[in-house]
Amino acid sequence: MGLLAAGIGAGIISIGAGIGIGMIGKSATESIARQPEASGDIRGAMILTAALIEGVALFGAIICIILALQGA
Amino acid sequence: MVQILRRVFLTLLFLSVSTSTTFSMSGEETQEQGSPIDIMGTVSDHNSFELPFYNIPLPRLFFLKDADGNASFEGFWSTESAVKSGLFVEEHHVLETTQGAQIIIDFSITSHLIYFWIGMILAVWITMNMARRYKKGVGRNVEPKGAFQNIFEVLFVFIRDDIARDNIDSHKSDRYVPYLFTVFMGITFMNLFGLLPWAATATADITVTAVLAVITFFITQFSGTKDYWGHVFWFPGVPILVKLIMLPVEIVGLFTKPFALAIRLFANMMSGKIMIIAILGLVFIFAEMYGSFTGYTIGALFSVPMTAILYFLKAFVALLQAYIFTLLSAVFIGMAAEDHHAEEEGYYVNHVE
Repeated sequence: MGLLAAGIGAGIISIGAGIGIGMIGKSATESIARQPEASGDIRGAMILTAALIEGVALFGAIICIILALQGA
Repeated sequence: MVQILRRVFLTLLFLSVSTSTTFSMSGEETQEQGSPIDIMGTVSDHNSFELPFYNIPLPRLFFLKDADGNASFEGFWSTESAVKSGLFVEEHHVLETTQGAQIIIDFSITSHLIYFWIGMILAVWITMNMARRYKKGVGRNVEPKGAFQNIFEVLFVFIRDDIARDNIDSHKSDRYVPYLFTVFMGITFMNLFGLLPWAATATADITVTAVLAVITFFITQFSGTKDYWGHVFWFPGVPILVKLIMLPVEIVGLFTKPFALAIRLFANMMSGKIMIIAILGLVFIFAEMYGSFTGYTIGALFSVPMTAILYFLKAFVALLQAYIFTLLSAVFIGMAAEDHHAEEEGYYVNHVE
């Protein structure tokens, strides 16, 4: 049961993080296309925001690992 | 001549890498859990320092409380000698005490600790050597000499200008450059050592990343200005009810930042390792299920090319995560050390209303 929960949880986490980082990438590439001279600043902000989203996703991933280890 | 030597050296390196990987993989086939490979066992901390064909046992240090309640400190050169002394029995690679004694703290030196030391000492040693060179004037009065110093200068200027000065107030930022640079170099070395198959990734251990995050946490708090603490305890410019709601949120926020910092680095390094082991492990799983020929075919066609690609990804992630850890540390410190102008801010808020 724990294994199943961990698997489903990991899937949902991936969906959430994928949507979030995808939206960041979309707006970043759009703004770089609109204003190529600001690409350095945009890239920095992009990595920072992506890292913050990743942090939230990793919290979920850790919970899943704990669940999987207990279920196994 | 140099070309030939370099080629021979690279071939030898490649051979030692591949043979030691196969050794360690096939050695795990004989464990009793049912699965042909033990992923968590490979990722976890060990009490020996592994070299391509040799394991150096590491000292075990314990703070013990025996049956009568007397505390004592016991040290052994290796796990074996600890078992020989009669105080411990080994069960599933974990030492259990005998004679009713209790382990209070396990101070044993482990492979992750060794790699943590190696990473940090390398970072400090390189930086001090380079500092001596700059003191002599090389790089200041004349151009930097050699590829090594050039790489060093690029990295250092990157950390100083793009990470510290961009995120921390300009008149304070240079104070934090030594810490940020040490952390960056240390994490980079630890991550890159993890790319060697026999070595351990120190940053794939939550305790190592937690220590680094705690240091960042303390630096952040000690560099906090009055404004920063004001924002934490009594959020300015909002009604009193909102202030009371914001108080616990802000206090929890103090601790989630370093926590996320630790978890991020740990999980990224850990997941890279697990992925590579799992994909290589397919060879052994298929070999056990459908015979060794299928296993080798899967290995040649899928596992090895996939692992090679993942390996480059891991090398990139190693640098990226060191950069992100440093960047976020700088951002957190910058947020705490920023000189807000409360009056200006309040004026602005009133004005908008």
